[in-house]
Amino acid sequence: MINNDISGAFMLMCVGMITVFCILLIVIGLGNVLIKLVNRFAPEETTTKKMSPAAQTSQSVDPTVKAVIEAAVSNITGGKGHVSKITKL
Amino acid sequence: MEEILNNLYQMTAFSDIVASNGTYVIMYLLAFVLLYLGIVKHFEPLLLIPIAFGVLVANFPGGEMGVFQADENGRIVDATGKVLTENIWEMSLPAIAHELGLMNFLYYMLIKTGFLPPIIFMGVGALTDFGPMLRNLRLSIFGAAAQLGIFTVLLCAVGSGFFNIKEAAALGIIGGADGPTAIFTTIKLAPHLLAPIAIAAYSYMALVPVIIPLVVKMLCSEKELKINMKEQDKLYPSNNKIKNEKVIKIIFPIAVTTIVALLVPSAVSLIGMLMFGNLLKEIGSDTARLFDTISNAVMNTCTVFLGLCVGATMTVQAFLNWTTIGIVVGGFFAFGLSIASGIFMVKICNLFSKKKINPLIGATGLSAVPMASRVCNEISTKYDPKNHVLNYCMSSNVSGVIGSAVAAGVLISFLQGMAV
Repeated sequence: MINNDISGAFMLMCVGMITVFCILLIVIGLGNVLIKLVNRFAPEETTTKKMSPAAQTSQSVDPTVKAVIEAAVSNITGGKGHVSKITKL
Repeated sequence: MEEILNNLYQMTAFSDIVASNGTYVIMYLLAFVLLYLGIVKHFEPLLLIPIAFGVLVANFPGGEMGVFQADENGRIVDATGKVLTENIWEMSLPAIAHELGLMNFLYYMLIKTGFLPPIIFMGVGALTDFGPMLRNLRLSIFGAAAQLGIFTVLLCAVGSGFFNIKEAAALGIIGGADGPTAIFTTIKLAPHLLAPIAIAAYSYMALVPVIIPLVVKMLCSEKELKINMKEQDKLYPSNNKIKNEKVIKIIFPIAVTTIVALLVPSAVSLIGMLMFGNLLKEIGSDTARLFDTISNAVMNTCTVFLGLCVGATMTVQAFLNWTTIGIVVGGFFAFGLSIASGIFMVKICNLFSKKKINPLIGATGLSAVPMASRVCNEISTKYDPKNHVLNYCMSSNVSGVIGSAVAAGVLISFLQGMAV
């Protein structure tokens, strides 16, 4: 009886491991195929990249004004100060 | 006066506790240790605390909070040999609540029917991100290698002669390191072992921060643990860059469910619910309310009842016996072997590949998401503070969830109808 169970368990081990490997190999293959198909037919990311509030504010400021402010801060602080955020009051 | 005091003593739980020769005290100590691990050491507190409290309340004589296990014919006998019911399957739920108590009502309604594990899998799916797996698809194969512990312990347990093949399969599934999968498989194959298997599975999951470093230290060299995955990626870049992750993440759960359902239908109740939860998450704002419900309200409710019911199955009669000790020992080996087999698979791959892989990625091939990945990341940063492997570990970790559910499906489909 135990010998039968051992052979059954061994068979189950082989079948189980082969099945798990096959399924995950299929999942990997499926993932690769999906990536290739999506890259080909829908390559654009629909979500826009998130920007930090500082970057958003800095972008809305005129580059000339920004350069003037940076130069003024650098002059006043002797080159030690840096502009990290520009906000309109 | 003496008679009144005697009646008072008999009314309390002390009389039965004293008469039990300390067995109840062992269960209280076990409950306190689990509570300590959950509250003070923060080992999986969301699971361990309900389980531990369930153990505590189930073991007060007269409290009627312990779960009675029915035999194959539905017959329930209490510790004194008194038959409580001849066939519980013919009882209505209100009758179970009235005659056997609240905890038996919850257990037979939520656990014994196999209702909670798939629902919890749905919540797990909602909290899982397949992004790291999709970005490192080839690492997912280690999620398969790490299932070897399940089948090795199954073989050893059958060979020991203490367990029949169904019980051995339920014991082996502890190596999958996935609580809901272990419970689901045990309910199907060996329901009488649910208490010790559930507690062993959840305890070892909680002890992942101890077990993984132990196995890794035994099997990996410092040089191997210092392998920097990001540097390897720069040296050997992938030619399969994802350009639109959102679309892939929506299609992926649908495609995986379909493939698994076709190949291993018995795993669909777990994989299907996992992927359904994930799909609701990935769709975004259109299903945000459903995602919010399953990842918070439903998941938390299920976790509370699962923990309490599993704890309540650990009564003195069900827990303090040699079978339980065998399960605790066997479960530990299953767990350790799963980690070791993932590591060895990485070592074998490194022999044949130019692009080296950190063996910690193999160690996370078992489930226990995301704790196993976090622990492995801590190990790698200990050897090299700049070497963060979390994202890579999550790939094999998430595929390990799929792997253990498939392994459970294979065991159930082969053994459920088998007579032993």
